[in-house]
Amino acid sequence: MTTQTLTRPAEVNATEPARARRHPSAGRRLLTTELRLIGRDPMTLTFVFMFPIVSMLIIGGSFGTEPDEVFPVNPAHWYVASYFSVVIGATGLIMLPVRIATYRERGVLRRFAAAGFPRWSFAVAQMAVGLTAIAVSGAVLLAAAAPVYGVPAVEDPVQVVAGVVIGSVAFVSLGVLLGTLLPSARAAQAVGLMLFFPSFLLGVGGPPPAVMSDVLAEISDKLPLAMVNDVVRQGWLGLGNATGTLAIVGALAVVATALAARRTAL
Amino acid sequence: MTTTEFSSGHISGHISGHIVSVRGLTKAYGGRTVVDHLDLDVAPGEVLGLIGANGAGKTTTVEILQGLRRPDSGVVQVLGLDPLRDADRLRPMIGSQLQDSGLPDRLKVREAIRLFSGPDAVDAEELLERFGLAHRRNYAFGTMSGGERQRLFLVLALLNRPRLVILDELTQGLDPAARREVWSSVTRLRDAGTTVLLVTHELDEAEELCDRVVAMRAGRVLDVGTPAELVARHAAAATVRFGLPAGRPARDFAALHDLSGVVDVVRTGDQVAVVGNRSTIAHVGAWLVGRGPIPADLRVEAPDLEDALLALLEGPTDQKEAA
Repeated sequence: MTTQTLTRPAEVNATEPARARRHPSAGRRLLTTELRLIGRDPMTLTFVFMFPIVSMLIIGGSFGTEPDEVFPVNPAHWYVASYFSVVIGATGLIMLPVRIATYRERGVLRRFAAAGFPRWSFAVAQMAVGLTAIAVSGAVLLAAAAPVYGVPAVEDPVQVVAGVVIGSVAFVSLGVLLGTLLPSARAAQAVGLMLFFPSFLLGVGGPPPAVMSDVLAEISDKLPLAMVNDVVRQGWLGLGNATGTLAIVGALAVVATALAARRTAL
Repeated sequence: MTTTEFSSGHISGHISGHIVSVRGLTKAYGGRTVVDHLDLDVAPGEVLGLIGANGAGKTTTVEILQGLRRPDSGVVQVLGLDPLRDADRLRPMIGSQLQDSGLPDRLKVREAIRLFSGPDAVDAEELLERFGLAHRRNYAFGTMSGGERQRLFLVLALLNRPRLVILDELTQGLDPAARREVWSSVTRLRDAGTTVLLVTHELDEAEELCDRVVAMRAGRVLDVGTPAELVARHAAAATVRFGLPAGRPARDFAALHDLSGVVDVVRTGDQVAVVGNRSTIAHVGAWLVGRGPIPADLRVEAPDLEDALLALLEGPTDQKEAA
């Protein structure tokens, strides 16, 4: 049997610094691994990729293509513009909490910490994973919508980009925070679904505000995911300026990011 | 709060010469003290076992050594560094197999190797071969058996040429064959001169693998020594049992009392139990051989580490512990 030295060499040889530079850092290795695992996670594939596309294709074709007193624009386009926010919500309220709570429950985070991964590497990796999932799934959603309903022209690109980016950061951070607070993967799944579906139905992919009762419309206005959707949809379809709402989403993003980073330090 | 006597730039020149040096370590959770003024030294190249019942404070102790928990008081040095203050430098030098920890189910073995390999990592293929995992390198963690997972954790613990390997409940939940596999892996580590801190409540494991063991109860050290020393100190009694051969008068066996090392002879029906120190086993054997056929039901109960620990755990509690 061959043997090898399992202890550290007493002195570092001259080629060591060059080799260390070439070797990917612990943070980069963790990020690469986490990104690779996105596509193998059934929860991600189901809720972040499949659910928004299938439900958008169904509901987008349910109200025709002509504006009326309920829909100020083509109803199909109304939902295509709205469903980008479904991807954001599914990532932040279901995918990340379940993923991180599972890691905690199974001691994966302790293993990362004990192995010497940098203190902030896990938080950064999860933020990157969430933003990547949103970007890829959002692109797939639009690619699926294009041949069926067409993708509406973006009327206010600055507001849309700001809404998507800030809204994504807010919900990704919220997801990371929920994952660190909830005690188990089951709890994360239950709480995530409880938060996601009311937000989805009242604030994004359900009936338009015009047909809601006053109470439901009032609730809808206060939902964070609905706020993100308002910013994105109004800018996309030219329905108005949502700077005030964007500021609230921005504040949510700052608070959630600070708390999430603090909670996920290894 | 932990303190260290060494400058932050000092790694290998520990004054004590120990890989691990702990003095007066105390940790409590919600008012319940789980580690109580613990002193502990681990010498270079030894396999030291922490043994004790559940709740003895073993896992908390090693978690503090790795900087995963903050002690309430005491001085903790691992490789001359403070586990909390110097965590970034210390953790890569420790190979850990933690209790109740895992990997993502869909992470493949080769990906885990890549993830945990630092710039000084050894040849992972060699380690995978050595631990019988080379054929599983493309398998996901979630598809592996308990024994394979533990061996993978050993591979990961050894990847970066650790100066200290901490193994916490290494064989928990494994079947006997898998335990033996993992034991031989640790034996190879010991033979290679790696310093190992082994936490276990499996006493046959400690007896098989450890150079020294530290027996703990309620966060305090009860005794320290080699397994043989602990057995000799706390469980010296051996028992030889056999049935009375037919036709032999019971009075013949009165002579057993006079054999060297014999403490007591107990007769229950046609069964005889001779209790004494380890030398009793030889003397009773010789006595039986000299007096005719050896009883077919002859049994010897030699004390082991489990007996020693049970004796220690059943020992008197001091006033502080009782309080």
